[in-house]
Amino acid sequence: MNLEILWQDFLGILPIVPQTVALAVIIFLLSILIGTIMALIQEYNVPILKQMVILFKLFLRGTPLIVFIFIMYYSLPSVVNFFTGLLNMNYNAHNIPPAIILIVAVSLTVSSFQAETIRGSFLSVSYGQMEAARSLGYTPFQAFTRIITPQALVEALPEFGSAFLVVMKAISLGFMITVVDIFAQSRLIASSNSYYIEAFVVAALMYWGIAVLVVTLTNKFESRLLSKS
Amino acid sequence: MLNIENLKLSFGEKEVLKGVNLSVDKGDVVTFIGPSGTGKTTILKCINYLVEPHEGRMQMGSISVDFKKINKKETLKLRRNTAMVFQQFNLFKNKTVVENVMDAQIAVQKKSKKEAYNKSMELLDKVGLSDKEKDYPSKLSGGQQQRVSIARALAVEPDIILFDEPTSSLDPELVDEVLKVIESVAKTGVTILLVTHEMDFARKISNKVVFMEKGKVIEEGPPDQIFENSENERTKQFLKKFYSENKEVLEVR
Ligand SMILES: Nc1ncnc2c1ncn2[C@@H]1O[C@H](COP(=O)(O)OP(=O)(O)O)[C@@H](O)[C@H]1O
Ligand SMILES: [Mg+2]
Repeated sequence: MNLEILWQDFLGILPIVPQTVALAVIIFLLSILIGTIMALIQEYNVPILKQMVILFKLFLRGTPLIVFIFIMYYSLPSVVNFFTGLLNMNYNAHNIPPAIILIVAVSLTVSSFQAETIRGSFLSVSYGQMEAARSLGYTPFQAFTRIITPQALVEALPEFGSAFLVVMKAISLGFMITVVDIFAQSRLIASSNSYYIEAFVVAALMYWGIAVLVVTLTNKFESRLLSKS
Repeated sequence: MLNIENLKLSFGEKEVLKGVNLSVDKGDVVTFIGPSGTGKTTILKCINYLVEPHEGRMQMGSISVDFKKINKKETLKLRRNTAMVFQQFNLFKNKTVVENVMDAQIAVQKKSKKEAYNKSMELLDKVGLSDKEKDYPSKLSGGQQQRVSIARALAVEPDIILFDEPTSSLDPELVDEVLKVIESVAKTGVTILLVTHEMDFARKISNKVVFMEKGKVIEEGPPDQIFENSENERTKQFLKKFYSENKEVLEVR
């Protein structure tokens, strides 16, 4: 292995790290949002929507992510065009950046797992906590924001940490639809200088560094929250 | 100040309250006794609408509700005029001792943080726990947790405090510290409804005792009447059975 090249590759890949992480953060937050909505639909037994959520989850869990990404890549623009057409909007969805398509595809896939995490973590908060809040005259919203959600979060935190790492890795499939992340960048560099091992080792080290950071952060945060309960 | 008429409640097929009437004056300390599974907890929870009776009327101070058509506003009013102390304490796990006492003052009563804090420290002082202000509930003994939960209840200045077996999940040596606090609360003149199996305590602090069985009020009256001179066969039997079963426990104390 050529150390000189390693260093060069490192410098070449480093600039792409912030935007890869940003992409992961966006997808991660969206997946929590969509996962929460799915969990609420299931918990409150909303007719029709509930059946849709169950089917959708089944589909997402059974479909390889790369297949779903391609389905989205080829169908999302037409779907968007259909709706903008209905609204008489003048927008050509075939210009949707591939990064957006990746965001939609990965968010949806990960959200089906997040929904389970979120449901489980809320169910783990004892009913007595809700009762105490209600008995003091909290509105349901106040009870959820001040008492229930913070406790559910402690429960969900480790799962959220691993979900974030799943997202980080899933983004590397983005190169199939021309989204450039750490992995795609290392491929580009490798094919330009033909030092393949060096480029991929650097990429792996970067993923690994991010993972260490995320795990450390969640552990730290978790132990802080755990000291409370 | 509190009037309940014909309170009925079922959980599914099971009739739990079969038409309960109750009238309480301001400053009363009313104790509910009776076998477990009789509906004592359920009555307390009807009063702040933590469970939903399907029939009955209730008048509490200036609030008047018909449980058949109670709305959200009335529900909040009932809850904001009462406070409950639970058998399992139910302190907020994500909040420190002082935050537990402060939170409803801030969220529900819209007090400033400072005001809420000062009042909370005053109350924690009263229950003897101001030095635990920054601890989380999990660090406290059961008796300490229950004292915090009493401070939390007092903090919202309720007209009525509902105590549901406040000492039943405590180790025997921790019971007295909690009873002492309840006694001092009773002396402030706030109206109290209490479910307990501590018969001596009930006798000492209540001015009215309600004996319930199978979802009905069997007998009610001043403690002397119920404990000493009851004419009611079922009351007498319950007390006789209770004392013989608890003799050993009482002797150990
Ligand atoms: N949430 C509930 N769902 C179904 N049954 C319940 C519920 N809460 C209480 N019950 C039943 O109602 C009856 C009265 O309960 P409770 O009021 O707790 O009695 P007590 O406090 O006198 O021991 C019991 O038979 C109990 O099993
Ligand atoms: Mg009970």
